[in-house]
Amino acid sequence: MFQHPAARAIHDERMNMSETASPSRNPAAPPAQPTSRRVFLLRLGILLNAIAAAIFAVPVLGYLASPMRKFAWLSWISLGPLEHFPEHQTRLATYRNPYTKPWDGMTANIPCWVRREAGDTFMVFAINCTHLGCPVRWFQESGLFMCPCHGGVFYSDGKRASGPPPRGLYQYRHKVENGRLWIKAGELPTLGEPLA
Amino acid sequence: MIVRRRAAVAAVFALSLLAGCDRLPGKPKESQRPLSPAQVKSFDVLYTQNCAGCHGAAGNFGAATELANPAYQALVDDATLSRIIRQGVPATAMPSFAQSAGGYLTDAQIAILIDGMRARWKSGPPLKDAPPYAAAPGDPAQGAQVFARSCASCHGPDGKGGARAPGSIVDRSYLMLVSDQALRTLVIAGRRDLGHPDWRQYPPGQPLTAQQVADVVAWLAAKRPRFAPGTWQSVSTK
Amino acid sequence: MSPSQIIHKVGAWLDHRLGLSGPLIEAAQHPVPRSSASWWYVFGSATFAVMVLQFLTGLCLATVYAPSADRAWQSLIYLNYDQPLGWFIRALHGWGSNFMVGLVCIHMAQVFLFGAHKYPRELTWLAGVVLLLATLGMAFTGQVLRFDQDAYWGLGIGAAIAGRTPFIGGRIVKMILGGPIIAGETLSRFFTLHVFVIPGLLISFVGLHLFLVLRLGINEWPMPGRIVRRETYLAEYHRMVSTDGEPFFPYAAQKDLVFIGLIIAALIVTAAVMGPIGPNGEPDPAIIQTVPRPDFFFLWLFSAFALLPPWTETFLMLTGPVVAIGLLFAIPFISGTGEKSYRRRPFSVMILVLVFMTIGILIYLGTYSPWSPHMEAWSGAPTPVEYVKGRTPLELQGAILIQAKQCRNCHSLGGQGGMRGPALDETATRLTPDQIVRQIVQGGGNMPAYGKNLSPAEVNAIVAFLATMHPAHQPPAHNAARPALARVDQR
Repeated sequence: MFQHPAARAIHDERMNMSETASPSRNPAAPPAQPTSRRVFLLRLGILLNAIAAAIFAVPVLGYLASPMRKFAWLSWISLGPLEHFPEHQTRLATYRNPYTKPWDGMTANIPCWVRREAGDTFMVFAINCTHLGCPVRWFQESGLFMCPCHGGVFYSDGKRASGPPPRGLYQYRHKVENGRLWIKAGELPTLGEPLA
Repeated sequence: MIVRRRAAVAAVFALSLLAGCDRLPGKPKESQRPLSPAQVKSFDVLYTQNCAGCHGAAGNFGAATELANPAYQALVDDATLSRIIRQGVPATAMPSFAQSAGGYLTDAQIAILIDGMRARWKSGPPLKDAPPYAAAPGDPAQGAQVFARSCASCHGPDGKGGARAPGSIVDRSYLMLVSDQALRTLVIAGRRDLGHPDWRQYPPGQPLTAQQVADVVAWLAAKRPRFAPGTWQSVSTK
Repeated sequence: MSPSQIIHKVGAWLDHRLGLSGPLIEAAQHPVPRSSASWWYVFGSATFAVMVLQFLTGLCLATVYAPSADRAWQSLIYLNYDQPLGWFIRALHGWGSNFMVGLVCIHMAQVFLFGAHKYPRELTWLAGVVLLLATLGMAFTGQVLRFDQDAYWGLGIGAAIAGRTPFIGGRIVKMILGGPIIAGETLSRFFTLHVFVIPGLLISFVGLHLFLVLRLGINEWPMPGRIVRRETYLAEYHRMVSTDGEPFFPYAAQKDLVFIGLIIAALIVTAAVMGPIGPNGEPDPAIIQTVPRPDFFFLWLFSAFALLPPWTETFLMLTGPVVAIGLLFAIPFISGTGEKSYRRRPFSVMILVLVFMTIGILIYLGTYSPWSPHMEAWSGAPTPVEYVKGRTPLELQGAILIQAKQCRNCHSLGGQGGMRGPALDETATRLTPDQIVRQIVQGGGNMPAYGKNLSPAEVNAIVAFLATMHPAHQPPAHNAARPALARVDQR
C-alpha cells in the first residue's frame, strides 16, 4: 500500500523518544555568560510582564467576582395591604426583587408563601425547598407544602414533615407597618445564607 | 456530464428535503406551544386537571357529586356553580379553586368550566316541577314519614342500610362530612351513575314535593351530632 | 483552463507559501497497527464529528437567540414556531448534545477497556477527561440557555448544592448566579461559558488530544498476555507498526468515515422525528405549578439526590464530584502499565460495568422519579370506578377525602397517582383499621402526620374506605387480639 516515505521516516524518528529527552533536542542550554545584557533583558522582560499581568488580573478578577463581595442585598419591601391575607390561610405573594436590572424580565418576580395566623401574626416562607431549591407548593386542604422534585414535605408552619430536606422552610424577616406587610428580601435563600 | 447530472439530482433531493420539512413529525405543532397555567383555555384540560379526581373522568362514577347528571345541571344555576367552584364548600371536601381564595384558577377559567359542563351535560328540556335548589329547612318529624315512604325500602327502616343500598345514611361521621345542601341536592337530582333515583322516580309515579324534600333533609340533618365550633370530639361510627 | 487545473494551481500557490501539504500528508498517512483499524476505534472520531456539527448548529442558533433573561424564552419560541427551519436546527443541536454525551461515554469506556490509557498515553487520557468534563459542562450550560422553567429550577438546584459549602456557600452561590437571584446576569454568565469559555477549552483540548494521538500512535488491539512495560513498550509498538502497520488514511479512516456518516444520518433522523427539545413554560418563578426535571445526562444525579440518606447528602454533594474527577484523572497513574486486555483485567471491567449500571439504573429511576409527589394527582387522577360502585355513603366520603386531602399525590389507586408511598389498592390486607388510623394520624415512615389536618369524622371516613381495599379472594387484615380484648371489656 502507498505510504509517503517522508511520513514513515519522521514517524520512525519519533518513535525513538524515551522518558529522558536527548540533549540535542533541548535547545535551552545553560548560558555561557549569566550576566550578559541579553539575559538581563530577558529577565527584565519576564518581570515586567509578570507585573503587568498581575495589575491586569486584579480588575478582571475583581470584575468577575464582584457578586461575591459582601453586599447588603436584603432590603424591606411591601407585600401589600394586610387585607390580601385572610386569617388562618396561606397565600402566594409576589414581589419585585429589590436588586434588579431592566433585562431581568419576569425572573425578578419572586414569589413567597404568606401565612397569616391571626391578627398581625405572620409567617413568610421562601418558595424554595430547603433540600435543593425547587418550588414548594401549598395545599390548603391537607395543610402541607409539597416539593415536586424529591418529595420534601413541610407542615403549615414551615416545619419539615418528611422527605430529604435538612430543615424547615426558609423564612423571611417581616413586619407590619401602616397596614401593610413588609419582608426583608433580596436574595435566593440557600443553606449557606438562609435569609434570616 | 455525469457529474453535472449527479449534482442536479442531489440539488433536487436537497430541495425536496427542505420542502418536506414542514411535514416532518418533529416539527412543533401550534397546539404544543407552551402555555402558562393561567393561559389554559381548554375545558378538557381544565376539567381533567382540576375536577376529574373527585367527580370522575367523564363527570360521572366519581366519588363526589355526579356533574354529568342532567338533573343536577338543571337544578344548579350558574351563580351557584361559580360560587361553589370559586370558594369551595366550607366544612366539606370541596376545595376553593379561585386565585382569590387560594386556588390556582382564574375567573375566566372557572367560566370556561361552567360553560363546558353546561354544553356537555345539560341536555334535554328544563325540569318541570322540580323542587328549588335551596330552601329553608323543613320539619324533621314530617321527614321521618317521608323517609319511611320513599327511602326506607332501599336504605332500611332506620336508614342504616339495606340490600339495595348498603351502608348507613345516618352514620354520624358521614353526616358531619356532608352539608345539608349536598343532602338536598342528592335527594332532588339523584345519582344516575350509582343508581340513586331523583326526586320524581321513587316510588314510581309519586314524586317528592318541595316540602317533602325539605322535611326529609331536616330529618337527616337532625341526626348529625352538634359540637361547639372548633372542638373535635371523638365520633364513633357504630 | 478546466476547473481542476484552476484548483490545482491555487493549491500549489498556497502550498508554496504555507508548506502544509507535507505535514498534513504525513499526519494522514501515519502508520497505525493493523489490528486497531477496527470498528471498535470509531467512537472518538464520531464524537469529534458531532462536536463540529454542534459548533455549526450552535452558530446558527446564536444568530437568532437573544441571550437576555427577559427575551431568551421568546426567542426560543420564535425559533420553534416562526423562524424557518429554526425548529430543525434546535432539534439538531439538542439531540446532537445527547449524541455527543453518549458517544463520549462509549469512547471512554472503550479506551478504558482496551487499556489505551496506559503508558505512554496517560496524557491523552487526562486530556480526554478534561474533554468529558467540558462536554458535560456544555450540556449543563446548554440546558440553562434553553431558558425555560426546567432551566430556571435547574439553576436553583445548582445554587442549592453550592450553597451547602461550609462558610462560603452563600458567596459561591452569588458568584455562580452573578447576583443575589437567578436573573439577567445568571443567563449572561452561562451564555459566556457555553459560547466562549467551554468551546475554547474544547478546541484546545481536542487539539492536544489529537496531537497526542498522532505523536504516540493509536493504541494497538490489546492481546492478553502482552504486558506494557515502560522500558520496552515504545520499541515494541515501533516494531508493530513497521512490520504490521498500515497508513491511517485510508486504512483506518474508511471505517471512521462510514461510522461518522451513519451517526450523522441517525442524528438527522432523530431530530426530524423527535423535534426540538423544549422549551417548556416561561422561566417565571411565580408560576409554581411546575415540575422541574433535568435533561437525561443529569437525571442520574437528580435520582441520587433523592435516594441518598439525607445525612450523607451535603458531604457527598460536595466531595463526590471532587473524588470522582480525581479518580478519573488518577486512573493512568494507578494502572499505567501491565495488562491491557480487558480479558485479564476483571477488576477494571467490574468497575466499569458497575459505574454504567449504577448510572443507567439511576437514569431509569429518574425518568419516572417514584419519590416525587404527583402534584396534580389529587384533583386529576379519578378514583377508579370499581372503588366507587357499591360503596356506602361513608366510604364514598372517604374516597373523596383520599382525593381532597392530597393522599393521591403520594399514593396510587388503580396505578394512577404518586409512588412515594405504597399503593392503596390493597391497604386492608396489610393494615387493620386501628393501624390505618395510627398511620394517618401520626404519620411515620416518610409520611407526614395528618392528625392536625383531619377531623375524627374525616379519619373515620378514610378508614372506612380503605378497609374495603382488599381483593375479593383475600380477607382484610384483622387484629387477632380484638375478640379477646372485647371479652375482657365485657367482664
